[in-house]
Amino acid sequence: MIGLLAILAAAGAIAMAEAPRLYKQRHLKELWVFSLLLLFATGFAAAASLHAPLPNPIDWIVYLFKPVNAFVWSALS
Amino acid sequence: MVTMYTVGTTILVIPSGMAAEAKQDAWIGAVIGVAIGLLLVLLYNAAGGIYPGNTLVETIEAVLGKWIGKAVSFLLICFAMILASELLYYIGNFITTQILPETPILAVHLLFAIVSAAGVRYGVEVLARSIELLFPLFILLLLILVAFSSFQIEPNHLLPIMEADAKSLLRAGLFFTSTFSLTPVLLLMIYPASVDDPHSARKAFLWGTAAAGVLMIAVILLSISVLGADMTARQIFPSYALAKKINVGNFLQRIEIVVAGMWFISIFVRMTIYYYAAVTAIAQTFKLKDYRFLVLPACIILVTLSLIVHPDIVHSTKYDREAWPAYAAVFGFLLPLLLVVVHAFRSGGRTDGDGDEQAGSS
Repeated sequence: MIGLLAILAAAGAIAMAEAPRLYKQRHLKELWVFSLLLLFATGFAAAASLHAPLPNPIDWIVYLFKPVNAFVWSALS
Repeated sequence: MVTMYTVGTTILVIPSGMAAEAKQDAWIGAVIGVAIGLLLVLLYNAAGGIYPGNTLVETIEAVLGKWIGKAVSFLLICFAMILASELLYYIGNFITTQILPETPILAVHLLFAIVSAAGVRYGVEVLARSIELLFPLFILLLLILVAFSSFQIEPNHLLPIMEADAKSLLRAGLFFTSTFSLTPVLLLMIYPASVDDPHSARKAFLWGTAAAGVLMIAVILLSISVLGADMTARQIFPSYALAKKINVGNFLQRIEIVVAGMWFISIFVRMTIYYYAAVTAIAQTFKLKDYRFLVLPACIILVTLSLIVHPDIVHSTKYDREAWPAYAAVFGFLLPLLLVVVHAFRSGGRTDGDGDEQAGSS
């Protein structure tokens, strides 16, 4: 719970630190990307703090590249 | 800056894997790895020279076309992010296992991540200058390590020389290259565009890599000659173990934390650069006017990723040996190669007016 609150607080702080400036300068596309990224980051962190099983990109990489690596390694032995 | 970056994680992790491969000839493998690495730098210089004013992302899009380019850039972003969070994990792991076992990893990660974020936010110039400031300190610590452990060298540990066969050496060399050289491709994000003098930048790239190579060879050589090939292969952090052995006249002992400092510096440099590369890549892929406001959300992602990326050191080492070299090769080798080749085709084709059926001038 504490973690979740801390994350939300941090996200809020970040939004408050960056968003007004972007809005005033009418950088709307930037604002969009920023908000999306922040949203994603917050969700991600929140899920992690609630110990939800999160997908691990390393696993995908291992899955994709293990055969390649094995192939190269054996070609060199 | 190039030197520090390249020495980075290499100095801590690689000696172990290499010794496992090539035993006491691991240092020869390192020499090979450095040679390959220098060749790679030539490739990077070529790729960076395609459109001298562009960063990597811009070059990707220019050469491969808008949509493919964006897809590739997206993968590149992921590459950089994953790399950065892996490094965060390494730092956290190292500190919590060797120095501060009772600190929750998150605290360490947050600390480093925030400092890194500050650096990235301030921009390339500030980053480059602070790294330059750190450099002498780094060298000093490295020299301390080398100088004081050399008292305990046992040349016997290096015998018999060339017991490993060529294939083993090649594998060790490639393993070395995977961390040492394949990742500096990300430096292409920065250097072509922000440097005033591209020519000297290329030379700096080459020299920096060479210097880092020499340092690495020295460290590996030292590791094996002081600790012995078996021990080196068994340690998770061989150069730290090396530092622990420093014992000059029974007085200068337990200074390994000083050496750990050297390691913090180089990993920090590496991580910050990856972080910077990732954030600027995002900004450029979406054609945003600045990247600074992306730094903080990216920071959150970084920290979170670093916590899930490697559940434990076993997983991490396994990944390093099994999947990482191929993954790094795709971005570090295939990508620049692709860029150079495609570009050659396209300009060759355009001069002929014949499309890309002709082989062009390459």
